[in-house]
Amino acid sequence: MLESILLWSFALLTAPLFAGVIFKVKAFFGGRKGSPVLINYYTLVKLCKKGSVYSTSSTFIFRLGPMVSLGAAATSLLFLPIAGHAPVLSFDGDVIFILYLLGLARFFTIAAAMDTASPFEGMGAAREAYFPIICEASMFMILILFYRLTGDLSFAAFFSGGQPFGLWQTAGSPILFVVIAFFIILLTENARVPVDDPATHLELTMIHEVMVLDHSGPDFAFIEMGAFLKMFFYASIVARLVFPFELSNPALNLGLFSLGLLIVYGSVGVTESVMARYRMDRVPKFVLTSFALAFFATVITLEFLK
Amino acid sequence: MNLFFLSMLIIAAGGLLPLFSFRQFSLMKILGVLGISIGCGLGMLDALSKLSHDGPAIASFEYLNSFSLAFRIDGLSAFFLLAIFAVCLLAAIYSFHYMNHPEKALRTAASYFFFSLLAASMALVVVADNMITFLLSWEIMSLSSFFLVVYDYQTPENRKAGYLYFIFSHVGTMFIFAAFGVLYSHTGSFGFESAGLSDAAKMAAFILAFIGFGSKAGVFPFHIWLPHAHPAAPSHISAVMSGVMIKTGIYGILRMYSILNPHTPVLGTMVLVFGMVSGVLGVVYALGQHDLKRLLAYHSVENIGIILIGIGIGMIGVEANNPVMAVLGFSGALLHVLNHSLFKSLLFMGAGVVLKKTGTRSIDALGGLLKHMKVTGVTFLVGSLAIAGLPPFNGFVSEFFIYVGSFKGIPVDESPVFVVSLLAIISLAVIGGLALACFTKVVGVVFQGEPRSPAAQSVDEKGPTMLLPMIILAGACAVIGIYPTAFMFMVLKAVPALGLDYANIPMEPVARMSANITLGATLFLALLLVILAVRRILYQGKAIGRAGTWGCGFTQPTVRMQYTGSSYAASILEFFKPAAPLEEDHPPVSGLFPRATHYHSHIHDIIERHLNRMVVNPVLWLFDKLRWIQHGDIHLYIAYILLAIVVLLFFV
Repeated sequence: MLESILLWSFALLTAPLFAGVIFKVKAFFGGRKGSPVLINYYTLVKLCKKGSVYSTSSTFIFRLGPMVSLGAAATSLLFLPIAGHAPVLSFDGDVIFILYLLGLARFFTIAAAMDTASPFEGMGAAREAYFPIICEASMFMILILFYRLTGDLSFAAFFSGGQPFGLWQTAGSPILFVVIAFFIILLTENARVPVDDPATHLELTMIHEVMVLDHSGPDFAFIEMGAFLKMFFYASIVARLVFPFELSNPALNLGLFSLGLLIVYGSVGVTESVMARYRMDRVPKFVLTSFALAFFATVITLEFLK
Repeated sequence: MNLFFLSMLIIAAGGLLPLFSFRQFSLMKILGVLGISIGCGLGMLDALSKLSHDGPAIASFEYLNSFSLAFRIDGLSAFFLLAIFAVCLLAAIYSFHYMNHPEKALRTAASYFFFSLLAASMALVVVADNMITFLLSWEIMSLSSFFLVVYDYQTPENRKAGYLYFIFSHVGTMFIFAAFGVLYSHTGSFGFESAGLSDAAKMAAFILAFIGFGSKAGVFPFHIWLPHAHPAAPSHISAVMSGVMIKTGIYGILRMYSILNPHTPVLGTMVLVFGMVSGVLGVVYALGQHDLKRLLAYHSVENIGIILIGIGIGMIGVEANNPVMAVLGFSGALLHVLNHSLFKSLLFMGAGVVLKKTGTRSIDALGGLLKHMKVTGVTFLVGSLAIAGLPPFNGFVSEFFIYVGSFKGIPVDESPVFVVSLLAIISLAVIGGLALACFTKVVGVVFQGEPRSPAAQSVDEKGPTMLLPMIILAGACAVIGIYPTAFMFMVLKAVPALGLDYANIPMEPVARMSANITLGATLFLALLLVILAVRRILYQGKAIGRAGTWGCGFTQPTVRMQYTGSSYAASILEFFKPAAPLEEDHPPVSGLFPRATHYHSHIHDIIERHLNRMVVNPVLWLFDKLRWIQHGDIHLYIAYILLAIVVLLFFV
């Protein structure tokens, strides 16, 4: 239990660090030196020192939004096995609870954006409401596959103990599909290229960044932190799938897990460096790919298990 | 049983007294509200006590020495009674400040009369124990609600809505008659029994009943009356109709299932597929609406879909000999019946306040209401979160149980079970996502941002009796969402009445799942409190400024530049174009000095379109050809009657 809580704190503390890796990778591809790896911590501290300016259009929902999204992301990490260790909490069906809790965070992010009366934020909000619908369908498709393989409905059963190594052994090739599907979900849910470009300069083409235009100070720090945690959440799922083993030495195990995370964050950086953002009407097709992959994985598994 | 009849009597008194006192407007309203609400309160207590007792309560009366009126309250009836009385009670209180047109005193009195009839007849529908009693109550319910729909009969639109509702409810009742006819022809009694029915007869009866009850419940494709009738009725009546009256259709389906006990796997799949289609298309159409109450009406179609998915999973679970799946499916569906009645009536009441204070139902004409309508805005937000199925509110709990029930069907290898469970899960996920999109649109456009028209500018929310029921309902949504255990126990009291032949359903697993939801929700709320505390500290002694919204460099923004509901929903609707064709009227801007242009969009309900073409027009044509029968000559009509009797004598 204590170890689980320590790992949870590890996740909370290092999430900004890993997100900094993406900047480094992008800088490498751009031939630049890039910002320091700790840049995100500096930003968070800087934001926390500031005050805030609120739009006259906004209401209490605008202030509630950042808190809910941070709270939901932090709660979701409580249920996720970190480095293959049992999570702080786990129950049958916690996967559904967490997915819907992240839905709650999305609701409040959108509501906070609509609160400003800005047409740009409305546009971002409409996209934020649209694309995750497909993500959610493909997440549930993956859950169906995992349930079929493990007979359980909790993150602990999928990613801790002997799993997901056991999953690879029983259904190797479908899991390969799942890794790609998860990676696509990660890109979509965390507003990365090719779905959304966090570094773009035109508000019209943004999704996530435009929704938080009006937030400032500690509120904005909460949003950033929530985004780092959410990214960490998805990245650690993919990392566990890539490195499904668990080493007996806890330190080594954590090292291996961090290596997995570095690979995932690195791939996000590489994707961002070598690809352009899709046109908005192409994005649903891209996200549907992940659903199709998950679907095929499930269909293939039907035969495997016989 | 006596307490139940006493409550019926008080409700009836609450309907009759206003008719005699309409000259005193306030007194009349007080009498109506008190009668209906005290009756409903008593009925609620009775239903609660019935839920804690085992064994049904029975009463029957001989009527005209020819048939008996029989009543029976078992777990299922008591559960539905609870929802009916709770919503009617709050709707009655709400109506006190909502019905504030002294110049329409007589009409208001009549509306109380029909409201009390509706409340009483809904209660009688769910306790009726033979066909005669059931159909009698059913007809009173349909007719009284029809008169409530045409409350504002001067508007042609409302008359049309009433007419449509009238036709649908009566065609639906014909199907129920047919289903009961099938039963009667085999059993020879008016009682609810199915001894001696062949499997084919059971199937026929169930399908007929499903169509009949489905048209009341608003199952796609029998839902067309719903988006017309709900906006037409006064808001507290919309709350009652959408919150509980359409649930009597669900009750009918469940009751038929328990009577027939059909063992045909295909029926479960049928219910589930209807549920999926209703669920997904209901919310897609909702997303495309511009009228707040119409949008909510389409959400009823969606939620009926979710309930049917639960029932379908339950039925399939029974067929697949998977008791866990069956119990979870049915109990999830039943809890969703209660939950939907709470949050949907809350939302309709909220929409009622908006309509009352701004005078418009058009979503795109509103905006920024949260600043002036704190209570309405916050409770509407709670209702929106609940209907979108998000924790920690009640909509999530029932969907959670349906999800878990569906997952229990995944490892089953018998051919339809895996596929339909998969479809159920995916459609629930899609419905959840779309509902979230739809309610961020409603909350975002109606309550947030800046007012889009003068109507939404200087509003207030006076009228404490309108606000109180909404606060209570919002509280109930949160309580069920965080502490569902007690409510799940009530549901589990209702499930055995379905006749599933499971000796006793263990409480322990369900209690554990409920406790888990409580744990997750409290944990999240606790973390939220910690974050709130951190935020407090971080903002201590800091400068908080207020300024206009950042316009991305544009310095002259106007409220008309805001994103509207239509633009918000446009890209999602594009995806569902084949099922929900969008008609746009937008003359292009052209020339150096362009003329004023406009944009108008309307989303077509494909069923409404096709029904006109394929059913209404042929029927009209047919009756046009048969016009010669209708001569207007009374002798001829008497001859028709004689002829009919003679012909019937040959057959009987």
